[in-house]
Amino acid sequence: MSSSAVWKRARALGVIAVVAFVGCVTNRSEGLDASKMPESVRPDYEVFAQRCSKCHSLARPLQSGIEDDAFWALYVARMRRQPSSGISMEDTTVILRFLHYFSEEQKRAKAKPSELLVAPAPAPAPAPLDASAPDAAEVAQ
Amino acid sequence: MTPSRRSTFLPFALAVALLAAVLVPLRAGAMERNFAGSVQLDYHFVPTQPQANARGIGFDGFTTEAALKVTADISDHISANVKVCYGCHGFEMNMAYLDLRAADELNVRVGRFSPSFGSFNLRSDTANHRLSDKPLAYDMGRMLRLRTWNMGVLPSPFPDNGVEVNGTHWFGENVQGDYAVYAVSGFKGDSNGFDLDFEQSRSGSLYYVDNNARPTVGGRAALTLKLSPTSDMTVGASGMYGTFDPKNSLSYAIVGADLVFRFNRTNLRFEYLARRQEFDTSDASKLAYALAPTGGNFFVKHGAYGEIEHPVSKVVDVIGRVDLLHREGNVLRDLGLTRTSSVLRYTVGSTFAIERGFRVKASTELWQWSDRDGSGKNLDVGFHLAAVGSF
Ligand code: HEC
Repeated sequence: MSSSAVWKRARALGVIAVVAFVGCVTNRSEGLDASKMPESVRPDYEVFAQRCSKCHSLARPLQSGIEDDAFWALYVARMRRQPSSGISMEDTTVILRFLHYFSEEQKRAKAKPSELLVAPAPAPAPAPLDASAPDAAEVAQ
Repeated sequence: MTPSRRSTFLPFALAVALLAAVLVPLRAGAMERNFAGSVQLDYHFVPTQPQANARGIGFDGFTTEAALKVTADISDHISANVKVCYGCHGFEMNMAYLDLRAADELNVRVGRFSPSFGSFNLRSDTANHRLSDKPLAYDMGRMLRLRTWNMGVLPSPFPDNGVEVNGTHWFGENVQGDYAVYAVSGFKGDSNGFDLDFEQSRSGSLYYVDNNARPTVGGRAALTLKLSPTSDMTVGASGMYGTFDPKNSLSYAIVGADLVFRFNRTNLRFEYLARRQEFDTSDASKLAYALAPTGGNFFVKHGAYGEIEHPVSKVVDVIGRVDLLHREGNVLRDLGLTRTSSVLRYTVGSTFAIERGFRVKASTELWQWSDRDGSGKNLDVGFHLAAVGSF
């Protein structure tokens, strides 16, 4: 390959890199913005964000579509049992408390699509979880 | 019912009854399923090796790796995982296993899975590691001179059929211990093989059946210590041993040690692997060096890396890695390796979170080879730019 061809390809790569970089300036991060959460939730979020980002990005749980407490309990137990997870039983309680808050926020945002995923002010009472609520398996799909 | 029919019916009925006993505590319709997956498109540019792919030096240009996974909790004690991957060898079954769990400390995994080895294995999915390619010790075909080196020490993931018993236990609030022991089909190769044949080992075209009846056995033990609420460290050791040829006469043994620190969101990882690989010596003329009268029938391949991942903002992570492969022992004639060959690679990279679940990865690699190539070069430079999504 001639050196000019090499530079053409290098320039093409450079352009993609710049586009990607500009993309990130306007982006949202993979986690959530804790400053938009009620203060009482923030310490729980910190434990979730610390523990659940050890082996993969936070996008994995946050994008999973899971909105059911029982399903989260199974999932967090599954992750706790992963070798070297560093997730103790004590952490599990805190993480599940955060995931309950997050699920309720997700459901609320779905009901009112214009709303932010994480509301700045304390949320109005979420719809009660009852037996007729859609199964998490359906929601996940 | 005839006596012989009864003798086969009874164990079957017992098995059904046992299964039912495990499933009964479940509420009706409680089987929880989740779909997850990842896709990575990587562009690899190697200015020092034009037409690298055409010349068999490595895969330059675009490569895609994708995975789709279904996880189902059948009961509180049984879960199933099935994962199909698409990579350089087309579609492959990377996971198809059941976990039968009596307690956190005792889980029996049966089916097709990557047996527990080392620390990287858990992060082998493209969405779970921050650079486009894997550490050299675990390379599965992305490295330069991949055919000369026949990839890493233990190309990851390494799905195989078998059974693994594993478990985890917390000693108080700050110490977690893990263990795993397993028996799997093992890597495959030919009777007159000189190394493991990784394509044969993982290819679905051979129906994922074993080429010899003797399982490969192995295990892992690790200890994780919480140093503070936001930092921990893990130290682990792994090993596996088996034969790879149809006659069960050529063995391989792989050992590994790993040390991982996590301070807030910064990860610092060190891992070392070594494989002692026996080979066929019936045709000594294929070898580059005269066969030693004793102990000449094996080579040892070492691999190691040190890596730091540090988030500089909520959006950007920076990664630095130094990795090494080193090989000692006789070698096939004309392969381009010597009795002691090595390669060092220095990588700096970063990832940018564009959207939740969508990242761009960019990295630059400097390769330093102990052996010069046909054109006299012993340095190479490569660039990766990748987009990766997980869902
Ligand atoms: C010790 C490592 C580790 C930790 C810590 C961890 N995970 Fe995972 N997680 C994994 C692995 C391994 C996978 C499977 C990746 C694959 O197969 O692609 C995974 C996948 C997932 C998925 C995708 C669905 C699936 O099953 O593949 C979700 C959701 C998830 N994790 C949630 C969490 C949550 C919530 C936490 C914190 C409570 C957590 N993870 C902590 C290792 C971990």
